[in-house]
Amino acid sequence: MSPRAAVAIVSERLRAERRAVAFACAGAAIAGYVQSHAFTFAAPMFFCSTIGIALALLQGPGRHPYLDTSERSAPLFGRELARAKALAPAMSATLVTLVYWGAQSASGSAMPPTHFILALACVLASTLVALNATILSGAARDATIVLAALTIVVAFALATSGERAGAAAELIFCALSGFFALRQYGESLARYDPL
Amino acid sequence: MLSMHILRMRDAAYARRGETIVAPTSLDLGPGDRLTHVAANAREARGLAMLAAGLARATAGSVSIGEYDPRVQPAHCKRIAAFVAHDPLPLSQIDTAHYIAYRAALWDIDPDDARVRAQALLERLAPMHEAFAFPIAAALVPSPHLLVLDRPQAAFVPQILAAAAGCAVLVVRAEERG
Repeated sequence: MSPRAAVAIVSERLRAERRAVAFACAGAAIAGYVQSHAFTFAAPMFFCSTIGIALALLQGPGRHPYLDTSERSAPLFGRELARAKALAPAMSATLVTLVYWGAQSASGSAMPPTHFILALACVLASTLVALNATILSGAARDATIVLAALTIVVAFALATSGERAGAAAELIFCALSGFFALRQYGESLARYDPL
Repeated sequence: MLSMHILRMRDAAYARRGETIVAPTSLDLGPGDRLTHVAANAREARGLAMLAAGLARATAGSVSIGEYDPRVQPAHCKRIAAFVAHDPLPLSQIDTAHYIAYRAALWDIDPDDARVRAQALLERLAPMHEAFAFPIAAALVPSPHLLVLDRPQAAFVPQILAAAAGCAVLVVRAEERG
């Protein structure tokens, strides 16, 4: 896949979902500003990850049929398409987390940069896991969404289980979850049947 | 090097959970051939068009596009076949120039070449509404060997065939609407 094709897929997906991303950023700004000072770490992790899951679910087929048809007709392999398609919700979720952090800073209760990195890792991992649900249906779809929610819970539990070891465990867990989720998404897209 | 057949379907069918969506179909298309296939309904027409363009995989029988099997080499098939969906381009969501540039990027075609080729194609498709003409022009810009049209507007089929000169064309129509 050429870089141009990847940029075209990401930019078109972001453009198509710009309103949803704007609403998500506005929600993150409000939540980040008014959040309780007692939850400067838990709140962004759970809130931004939930937004990430929602943004991932918007990538499913049917919302923008002309994009689905163009991407499906293009001479691209499933893995290539998966990487490009995953970038759009990942970028949106990163933006939402940054906005949340900015709003926290404005209210004088920003989490430290290390916590931001841990929260962002969790947001990206859960977003990538949720992306798999977009091409599934029925119980498999529901189970994947539950799995994405569990990713947040496990990441939070690991991050709060200890100082450095907990943080390292959380980052490793999120990296592995994200990697395998993206790989699975590529496999599923390659096998995906639009009929 | 392409074989004598651009598209060959042998009892190609598609079924899901025991329900037949595309009944077994056999057809052959050589370079430059034009063929209209009438499906029983809109759902079957869409399914058959997708099978013929390599976008979906037959659950029974075989499909070959050029020398390639869509089940094994889908990306190769998509370099040969172009698919045009029944639905028009939603002009409220994407502007036409942007759409051509987007499609050119997906096929890794020079954007200036794509624009010039699209313009020439659109002139041939002139009487058609932009929402229907642009998807056809965009499909023809990469110079495919096979154009598969899912239920095109009957009145404009002659213009489409003229615009797709030298390209095999499969028109899939539906016997009944819905």
